[in-house]
Amino acid sequence: MIPSSPFLCVITDEAYSPVTLAEQALKVGAAMIQLRHKTASGSQLFAWAVAIGKLCSEYHALFIINDRVDIALASKADGVHLGQDDLPAAAARKLLGNSRIIGVSASSVEEAVQAEKDGADYIGFGHIYPTVSKLKEHAPLGPDNLQKTVESLSLPVVAIGGITIENAPILISRGAAGVAVISAVSRAEVPSKAASELLSALQKSLP
Amino acid sequence: MPHNNRKGTPLPRIFMISSGEEQGEGRGELIEHLTLLPSHIPCIVQIREKHLHTKDLLTLAQRARGIRLPEGSLLLCNERADVALAAGLDGVHLPENAVPPDKLRAYAPDLIFGCSIHSPEALRSAEQAGADYLLFGPVFDTPSKRKYGPPQGLKKLGELCRASSLPIYALGGVTPQNAALCMDEGAYGTAGLSIFRDTSRMRETLEQLYSILNR
Repeated sequence: MIPSSPFLCVITDEAYSPVTLAEQALKVGAAMIQLRHKTASGSQLFAWAVAIGKLCSEYHALFIINDRVDIALASKADGVHLGQDDLPAAAARKLLGNSRIIGVSASSVEEAVQAEKDGADYIGFGHIYPTVSKLKEHAPLGPDNLQKTVESLSLPVVAIGGITIENAPILISRGAAGVAVISAVSRAEVPSKAASELLSALQKSLP
Repeated sequence: MPHNNRKGTPLPRIFMISSGEEQGEGRGELIEHLTLLPSHIPCIVQIREKHLHTKDLLTLAQRARGIRLPEGSLLLCNERADVALAAGLDGVHLPENAVPPDKLRAYAPDLIFGCSIHSPEALRSAEQAGADYLLFGPVFDTPSKRKYGPPQGLKKLGELCRASSLPIYALGGVTPQNAALCMDEGAYGTAGLSIFRDTSRMRETLEQLYSILNR
């Protein structure tokens, strides 16, 4: 199921070939890959999903797809990650059954609590720090809100948004089960090196 | 001869595509249009609102599903088999660059899957992947498709219809005036978007098409 803490989830984006990025992240130890690409066609997403799914099973990592439950089902991915504008978690659960993983994005304690009620398996909470990856509607949430959310839930909470090697250990110490990154890896000069450094930072957070 | 769908009823000959201008929270003209369909004219209705977030698409699909449609009608959404399943729709219409129907059928065995095709190659892949029907166009000139170049024409429609045993709907500038030409080329039915948007003439347009297509 959800990888053991503290883990790194690498999210693909439009800046880098998703399959290449996934492989770079997996070979240094990322435990979760999320395929996220808002403009690719269905057939392209499906082809990427099949390729990344195969890599993830070779590396014993978890493979989830953003928003597209249809493609997760067709490619037999391990699960989906749903934003607040995507399919509601309860509807996705009916389609995916209990053996697959559903993550839900939340940007407040209330959204996170609701997602837990709706049957989510983990919460993506953020953005914690300022980030360039996405246009943001609200101010960064910060580590205090992360901790409040962790304490309000029994689900694992993955911190996202502006994660660096400096702040990642802080978020783990505040109760995050893992961290998720987009641009910190996809837009790094050498993505595998960036992922590897994040993983070392997470290990340092362990007592 | 009518083609039967997976429920054993004939596939409707008229294929209506939503405007692409529906708003979030189910606001727009689609719901009104569905309530105006004459009860004796079965239609395929495709909800094609690519700009909507998945959540809003689901809400719209659920609202549309709540409307009582003419008997034999089929309600589809564009591309998203997950939304079709969640809203209890009858099927999914797949653009040419979508996931092939056989990959979706594996987990959605009861849905109808149709495919847009623009070439003989696409026709063959759609057939091999188990499509239930095909949609081909633009056959005639239509303002919304001018940016993609000239229409494909009746001749090409005829060639594709003769090359396949699947029902093919002709799309693009099809009106009651030229629909019979498509049928002469072997089309199973006709599809449209803009000709159904004028609610004051929708019933008349549907009646005319219905009598031409079911001759």
